[in-house]
Amino acid sequence: MVGVFASLKWRLVTSRLRAATGVKRVGLIVLFVVVVLFIGLLAFGIAALRQVPDIAVSVLISVFTLQLIGWALTPLVAFGVDETVDPARFALLPIRPQTLQRGLLVTSLIGYFPIANMIVLIGAAIALGVPWSVLPVAVLCAIVQLLLCVVLSRAASTSMSGLMASRRGRDLGMAVGLVIFLLYMGFVVFINSGSSQSQGDALEAGVTGVASVLQWSPPGALATLPHLLATGQWVHALAAAVIALGALALAWWWWAVALHKSLTTVPSTTAGSSPAGPGALDTAVGDGVTGTMRVVADRDRVLVWRDPMRRMPWLMLAVLTVVWPFLVVRGQGAVFAVALGAIFCGAQAGNQYGVEGSGLWLHLQTITDRVRARGEVLGHTITALLPGIVVVVVGIAIQAVVHDDWAKVPAALGVCLGALFGALASASYISAVLPYAQPQSRKSLFASSVPGQKGRTFVASVAMIVGAIVIALPAAIAAVLSLISSPAWGWLALVLGLVVGSGAIVLAARLTADRYLDQATEIFAVVSAGDRS
Amino acid sequence: MHGEIMTNSDHNSLSGTALPSYPGAADLAKQTAGQALVLRGLTKTFGQYTAVDHIDLDVPAGSFFGLVGPNGAGKTTTLSMVTGLLQPDAGRVLVAGFDVWSDPAAAKARMGVLPDGLRLFERLSGPELLSYLGRLRGLPPATVADRAGELIRVLDLDEAGNKLVADYSTGMRKKITLAAAMLHSPAVLLLDEPLEAVDPVSARIIRNVLSRYTAAGGTVVFSSHVMALVEGLCSHVAVMAKGRIIASGELAAVRGSAASLDDAFMHLVGAGDVEQGGLSWLGSSQA
Repeated sequence: MVGVFASLKWRLVTSRLRAATGVKRVGLIVLFVVVVLFIGLLAFGIAALRQVPDIAVSVLISVFTLQLIGWALTPLVAFGVDETVDPARFALLPIRPQTLQRGLLVTSLIGYFPIANMIVLIGAAIALGVPWSVLPVAVLCAIVQLLLCVVLSRAASTSMSGLMASRRGRDLGMAVGLVIFLLYMGFVVFINSGSSQSQGDALEAGVTGVASVLQWSPPGALATLPHLLATGQWVHALAAAVIALGALALAWWWWAVALHKSLTTVPSTTAGSSPAGPGALDTAVGDGVTGTMRVVADRDRVLVWRDPMRRMPWLMLAVLTVVWPFLVVRGQGAVFAVALGAIFCGAQAGNQYGVEGSGLWLHLQTITDRVRARGEVLGHTITALLPGIVVVVVGIAIQAVVHDDWAKVPAALGVCLGALFGALASASYISAVLPYAQPQSRKSLFASSVPGQKGRTFVASVAMIVGAIVIALPAAIAAVLSLISSPAWGWLALVLGLVVGSGAIVLAARLTADRYLDQATEIFAVVSAGDRS
Repeated sequence: MHGEIMTNSDHNSLSGTALPSYPGAADLAKQTAGQALVLRGLTKTFGQYTAVDHIDLDVPAGSFFGLVGPNGAGKTTTLSMVTGLLQPDAGRVLVAGFDVWSDPAAAKARMGVLPDGLRLFERLSGPELLSYLGRLRGLPPATVADRAGELIRVLDLDEAGNKLVADYSTGMRKKITLAAAMLHSPAVLLLDEPLEAVDPVSARIIRNVLSRYTAAGGTVVFSSHVMALVEGLCSHVAVMAKGRIIASGELAAVRGSAASLDDAFMHLVGAGDVEQGGLSWLGSSQA
């Protein structure tokens, strides 16, 4: 029975390669080789830590811990990456839970992600197996670490599968994605905040300090075990073995319980979203460009607030716009780094026709003339424009206050608002020229494209950014002049940013609307693919 | 033209002689005055596969028109081209006298659409969806509110309150889509499988609303593969198979001497009864 599971998973894993032909197949193989080489290099680098055994143990304690946390959280953030994750698919098959659990364990070990982890862990085993006599123990520890990762990940995903089956649960997953993003930003700021003089020393001290605590965690115990045996710390080694194997047994038991529960109980399906508040929409009428713009913008405003898929990016952007300049520019001039956040704010108006998947048909039936089509584009634009201006202005103000850099504010406002307006114009136009399907199952905040359209999504994103930069260029040139000659140029930058940017938005609305009316059925066919993933 | 059964060969000869080349939309509209929906030479191919093969169809105004056929016959493809969601390779579609592909604004203002299996704006509540679509069509907010309230009451959606459409059941989704389709009081309703996977209570409500709509002079065109339903509801019917219309006209004419529309349909599409024999293993073991 376990063999059946293994062959089933093998077919799933290799199905894309088998389905691909010609150039696509060669491309996939090349990609595969590049990834294997990259991971091999990573494993080799880790194995090279063998030369410095003390540091190797400290570093690998952190690596093992991060690996385990990553495995445990991945199902929550990216539920559905693995078709065998959902135990409900097996609920009706006549299989005993124990057999199912063993079969699922084997399927979990077959796949690109587990194999990549295996390669890295082989490197880790070599680094930890000092002297060579304890290498078998190190290999054993690596195997247990992989099992621990897989079993814990499965236990977590199984106990959450009921939750993730409901839309509200998936919304929660997006909130977790946001928390992980915020933790990451906090971490980056933290390690950047050390005094630059002794950064290397501080980093080493930090890693060692963290390791001394984490060595008592299950993954930490696995990383230290070979070293403990090699140095004859038998009691400590025994404790480490008990911690690691105990954790594995506990995770296995948790998985068994969760599996049993998910196979025999129906998850609560009443957990719908909270109902909409009354009178959320205003009373604009779509009988002209402005009217349509108001109707569409009003709906977008409600949805940005109500739909986590739209709300979370804004929260991330607000953080990014404020934090990013601190990371890249130390001191004055950081005001200009707000431009990156400005471009991403503008990108929120991107792929206007793909956001709702096949729900676009409702607009195909109602937005049938140029006037309304232009109003729709401007409506989507203004929904991103207003919060974008707030984020950009606040971001610049914070940099100006912190670095006492008020002289550069007019130029920075010009560049950043130019970038925001430019990104909005560019995003609008690209959404009609290169629409792409957005996954409508909302399984992950980070899943922005569907299989088969990844290249399209990428090209659309790059084109959008290039367009934004081109439109912001006049303001940027004036800003450069303000830095090298007279600050008065800064005011010109502000005027140029606003005038060129606004012009671009108006022009883009016309071009986008014409293109949309001309290509509506093609756009509809492309974006409807989002329903299926 | 209606009132008698028309076979495919009739259609071919018609389009071959009486209509040597497809007339302009204005000419065709003049010729077909009194028809709510007119198709001429409508064709769609996907690669090698011809989904809809030069079909001609006339739907008289005020009729309750059923488009029937087995799965894969081309019903949804036809309705997609009629509603402006799929570009035809050739042919012409007139809705209430307006060409869907050369004058989409006028044609779409006169049609209400209920497609099968497409999403809605999922994160709006039912009333919000109606309010949004009504105002987008340029209806005054007060009118939209009155009509939406009435449709929601008649379609028994009041209990849903401000629940998001994403949390609606299949029947509720069909009903709110129907409400959206009727909101602007169109001349023609184009419904793709409106009663598929709908509970009996909702189905009864939908049928009543549609009957009232045709009684008031509206035209309903709907696709289905449930013959009993079509027989019970429709005044006119067209049978599709393999991308062609093999018969169309008044229900009684298409049914002819057959005991039921189901039998007539089986005869028309050339499907025999299931053979006896085989499947002897079924029910004989626990394995």
